[in-house]
Amino acid sequence: MLKKSISIPREAIIGGISGTLIGIFYATSRGTFLTPGVIQTMLTSAPELGIIALGVTLLMIAGEFDLSVGSCSALAALLAISCFQWGWSPYVALILALGAGAVMGLVNGVISVKGGIPSFITTLGSMLAWRGLVYVVTMGRVINFNVEKQHPFFYTLLVGNVTVFPAHFFWFFGLIVLAFLFLNRHRFGNHIFATGGNKEAARAMGINVDMVKIACFILVGILAALAGVMRATRIRGFYAQQGDGMELMAIAAAVIGGTSLFGGAGTVIGTFFGTLVITFLEYGLIVSRVSGYWYRVILGSLVVLVVLVDRLWMVRRRS
Amino acid sequence: MKEQIPFIEVREVHKWYGKVHAVKGASFTINQGEIIGLIGDNGAGKSTLIKILAGYHRPDAGEIYIQGERVNIKSPAHARSLGIETVYQEQALVDLMSVTRNFFMGREITTRGGFLDFRKMDAECMDVIRTMGLSISSPKTLVKQLSGGEKQGVAIGRAMYFKAKLVLLDEPTRNLSVKEVQKVLDFIKNLKELGIAAIFVSHNIYHVFDVSDRFLVMARGELIKDAQKETTTIEELISVITRH
Repeated sequence: MLKKSISIPREAIIGGISGTLIGIFYATSRGTFLTPGVIQTMLTSAPELGIIALGVTLLMIAGEFDLSVGSCSALAALLAISCFQWGWSPYVALILALGAGAVMGLVNGVISVKGGIPSFITTLGSMLAWRGLVYVVTMGRVINFNVEKQHPFFYTLLVGNVTVFPAHFFWFFGLIVLAFLFLNRHRFGNHIFATGGNKEAARAMGINVDMVKIACFILVGILAALAGVMRATRIRGFYAQQGDGMELMAIAAAVIGGTSLFGGAGTVIGTFFGTLVITFLEYGLIVSRVSGYWYRVILGSLVVLVVLVDRLWMVRRRS
Repeated sequence: MKEQIPFIEVREVHKWYGKVHAVKGASFTINQGEIIGLIGDNGAGKSTLIKILAGYHRPDAGEIYIQGERVNIKSPAHARSLGIETVYQEQALVDLMSVTRNFFMGREITTRGGFLDFRKMDAECMDVIRTMGLSISSPKTLVKQLSGGEKQGVAIGRAMYFKAKLVLLDEPTRNLSVKEVQKVLDFIKNLKELGIAAIFVSHNIYHVFDVSDRFLVMARGELIKDAQKETTTIEELISVITRH
């Protein structure tokens, strides 16, 4: 029995934290936290963060970082919005944007892996560069484009409301299932864990660790681009700061969900809950009428707290 | 028997790291099922030589023949496909992964679409664990929960399972307890019984001596002695190493 109580899976703990937050915010907001309107708002907001966080999780398990996901999603969204404006098919626009995301991921991956530069530095550079490109092209102006009116079917398919659930929540859900299958049940997932867990062992066993890492970078780029296009489509426009700070939120979601900063460990389910926790915090504080300025203070503390508890837990288990 | 083609033949292999001449013209052969003790002091070039055979480094000069055919070992994956399997103590396994996942790492058994066939992999893995006499109860056990000797056992069992012809063991007994060292030496004897050759690299001549058939001694990048076990003694080998 004792042994069982010690080996509580990480997902259960993070699930518990999400549940506790729901309880707290339900109480402090006098019930408004669980009204359909608030739930719908959260379901609308969570997938854009969550989709990026999924990619970031896979990449972190492989032992690399990507700080450029926010800028990448913005540049891809800008490309999509521009294509919309030129009157191109929205599907072509989406595919081009995803392709651009893939190319951005490829650039990050090749420079980090083949150039032997820590990805923290590579992607810090590309974060600035791609955000800079966005400003160069838009001159900081807001671009408005009503996708819903011009391409109603595309809009509904991507982000429209299907009952109370927004369409992109279903996309998010589908991607979670896919990511789970790939990570835990597929050969490629085994290679990701091996690469992040012990690069030398993976290499000795014939795994092409460079290719695994580059593939993960590309995946992150595509997912970031998808999230960017979803957001621009949903808010019917583009502004140059779109996705700013998303990189750190995505890492926070992954880390709260138990993804290791050193590679080799992490779960898709954990990241799903991590995304929920961040979303609950953001909207729970609002409906509880706590000043929005507290959001980052609390989120930051939570990230450090979760990792600290995890470490103490591990040390105790080892002794 | 003496006329058989050796499993591997190394001819005049050189390796430079910048100006450092790490391996100076090593030549030797290894027959099938032969256990070679590769000994020498720190920096003698043992590791470099092993890494060339494992596909980590390319030799700057020289030739390697496997079963009589000239090969250029391009990568660890290529070495593996030629039947050369590496068992590094620190680098053989991934601590955070299960025994099964480690066992089949890079050579997973999959169903259509590349999905892992855990039922089959778990069963095969447990078979090997039992025949090796390891007391690992579940293939889902994380490798970090195994002892140093058990880890070596899993890595060596993996080499056997995948029908390696030559296993490279780099310091497999380092940091192990006396009991565990004995276990690892037994695993190496198992290799021999299956007709698998091995190169056993170690500082500890006493560990190497017991299980090896032949010894290669290196000093400052040179292969200075190649002796059958019957023709030499521990004392002689030690004096060869210390004299250089």
